[in-house]
Amino acid sequence: MTLLEVPAGARVRIHQVKARPEVSLRLRELGLCEEAVISCVSKNRGNVICGIRNTRIGLDHRLARSIHVSVAE
Amino acid sequence: MRDSQHTIVRPRTVALAGNPNSGKTTVFNALTGLRHKVGNYPGVTVEKKVGKIQYEGNHALLLLDLPGTYSLNANSPDERIATDILLGRADHTERPDLVVCVVDAANLERNLYLVSQILDQGIPTIIALNMMDIAESQGARIDSNALARQLGIPVIPMIASRGQGIQELRVALRQPHVPLQARSWHMPEPVEREWEELAGLLQKYHRLNASTAHHEALALLTTAATSQEDRQRIAPEVLEHLAKDWQKLEFLGYNRQTVAIDARYHWIRSITRGVSKRTFAAGLTTSDRIDSVVTHHVWGIFIFLAVMALMFQTIFSWAETPMNWIGHGFDWIAFQARAALPPGDMRDLLLNGALAGVASVTMFLPQILLLFFFLGFLEDTGYMARAALIMDRFMSRFGLHGKSFIPLLSSFACAIPGIMATRTIENQRDRLATMLVAPLISCSARLPVYSLLIAATIPSIAVLHIVSLPALVMFSMYFLGLVAALSIATLFKKTLLRGAPPVFYMELPPYKLPGIKSILVQMGERALLFVRNAGTIILGASILLWFFASYPRLEGAAPSEQLQHSLAGRLGRAIEPVIRPLGFDWKIGIGLVSSVFQREMFVSTMGTIYNIQSEDNAATMSLKEQMQRDIDPQTGRALFSPLTGVSLMIFYVLSMQCISTVAVMRRETNGWKWPIFQIAYMTAMAYIATFAVHRVGVFLGIGV
Repeated sequence: MTLLEVPAGARVRIHQVKARPEVSLRLRELGLCEEAVISCVSKNRGNVICGIRNTRIGLDHRLARSIHVSVAE
Repeated sequence: MRDSQHTIVRPRTVALAGNPNSGKTTVFNALTGLRHKVGNYPGVTVEKKVGKIQYEGNHALLLLDLPGTYSLNANSPDERIATDILLGRADHTERPDLVVCVVDAANLERNLYLVSQILDQGIPTIIALNMMDIAESQGARIDSNALARQLGIPVIPMIASRGQGIQELRVALRQPHVPLQARSWHMPEPVEREWEELAGLLQKYHRLNASTAHHEALALLTTAATSQEDRQRIAPEVLEHLAKDWQKLEFLGYNRQTVAIDARYHWIRSITRGVSKRTFAAGLTTSDRIDSVVTHHVWGIFIFLAVMALMFQTIFSWAETPMNWIGHGFDWIAFQARAALPPGDMRDLLLNGALAGVASVTMFLPQILLLFFFLGFLEDTGYMARAALIMDRFMSRFGLHGKSFIPLLSSFACAIPGIMATRTIENQRDRLATMLVAPLISCSARLPVYSLLIAATIPSIAVLHIVSLPALVMFSMYFLGLVAALSIATLFKKTLLRGAPPVFYMELPPYKLPGIKSILVQMGERALLFVRNAGTIILGASILLWFFASYPRLEGAAPSEQLQHSLAGRLGRAIEPVIRPLGFDWKIGIGLVSSVFQREMFVSTMGTIYNIQSEDNAATMSLKEQMQRDIDPQTGRALFSPLTGVSLMIFYVLSMQCISTVAVMRRETNGWKWPIFQIAYMTAMAYIATFAVHRVGVFLGIGV
């Protein structure tokens, strides 16, 4: 599934970041990289605020859809 | 040792680097006090801030504040500057002797990512481990000594907002030798080998220094595909080798795009494991709880609208009293001067030229201060990033994205900071679209023009017994500018600047209480700039205008004849045929021409013109009343009819009359093409719209 489908409050593991290359690079550098466990802090009309440790990053719905994740145990 | 201190030829340069929101500016201000200069890097409007750290015995260090960046893989003009300076490939700035990297302790891992890149460059580095208190409140205890041992470089723990650790950092900066560490993060051996080879080739064919060659080699090795620019710029031998490298790594099963990032984070985790201890698990933070309301899909919009309404309400109502004080102050000065000076050209020049011009503009200082206060406040509390997120969905309908919101909001103050704020937009087309429409947002310089024209031409009646007509007209002008900006942006993004739909991502810093002091300092800087403008450009232009309006002298003529005969009158008459179809006469023409310096010059121009034109009772009759009494000889009706007022305001909403904005656009886009295009499209749009409104008004007989 993609980050867009994740309910607020859930913790997920990233499988793949499939945005445009320069955007993917920056997202990975910000910690949204493959195998990272992140949380979906809140959602606002398709925009997602995700948490990577103490950092909060807001993503629009297009980017949220380009991040493939699975539920983290 | 002692000798070497006496033989220093140039002061050591220290660069201050760090992630956005790491508290870099606070550290900079604490180290330099107010001894700093703000300029620009050549060619771009990225702010260059240089300060001096003064030590006893006349010894000083130069401190260069680099733009905040998450990574040295730059993807905005801001970040490119920081990267170029750290790599030593900037023509305008020498490579620093020492780097202080400000690290947010509450975001240790992500901040160490940039540290690992800076350490790669082989410049001695000191870490300012900031926001220790926030880290602690979130349950992380960081052993800064252990971190220093692990990294092999000095680490100074600090809470810059309270001044803690600043003195220790000052002392550390004076150490003659800061240890240099060899790179200690490593990728798998085959990748490392290809990296070295590629860097060697870049050094050979492009004569790059070692750190730039390594930096570029890694970027090329790990990119998904080379850009067109890369393929033109890079030697064919290097490209050929690169293609083979890619094949090899793919064959060996490495993900090119993630291998370097993974390796750095792996190294970072190996360091932080022994350094940072969790005292309690951080669940939802206070910021998260606030965000669940503030960025809520329903409440978020209400809160956003309420904040905007409060901001504009405050600017317009609170500012009134101090504006009146300033007005009375200038009246008093004029009264005293009139009594003290003998009548004649000199008194005329001082009172009707210089003083009238400067007074009419300085009046608006309180509103500008309040606007900058609000912008600073929203930025500092962390709300601005949320507003961008909330607005993103809305902005994307117009082909813009969330980050365009902040530049457009700043443009309500002035298009110049607005255009400069577009630097954070990574995509060049999105950035250009925002810059092209930013001047359509009604800036604070238009406010005096609207205020005067509304006072002079719009009757003070209530519409539907609720809203006053003047307030409604004022609101409509702001609204028109906003609608025009968004529609034109849509048009440009569908035609000229067509590209992939914008994507939005942004770090949301934790909410915090605003640093009132830093907001006030920023406000002070803006106010100074504004007053300096009033004291130089506007003063000069007012005097010039007075001269143009007073000479050549026509002895014994009535003031109105004298004005027609003057240079300004002739100029106004020269352009009258062009503006007649809009319902404007030659006096408005003079106002329009002088607005090119700055829009608010319209008000001071009217002040000067009507002071010269009116008969003896000038001093006792306000400018508004004098304008209302003016009869257009061609139509026999009042010149400033409601229709003229509205037409003129629409012209001001849509037209580009600001030399400073043109200059910034030229610098920002590196050429004349876009500023000329901007002047052309805005002027054409303003002319056509004003013409249409005027003709329809005349035809229907509304407001004539």
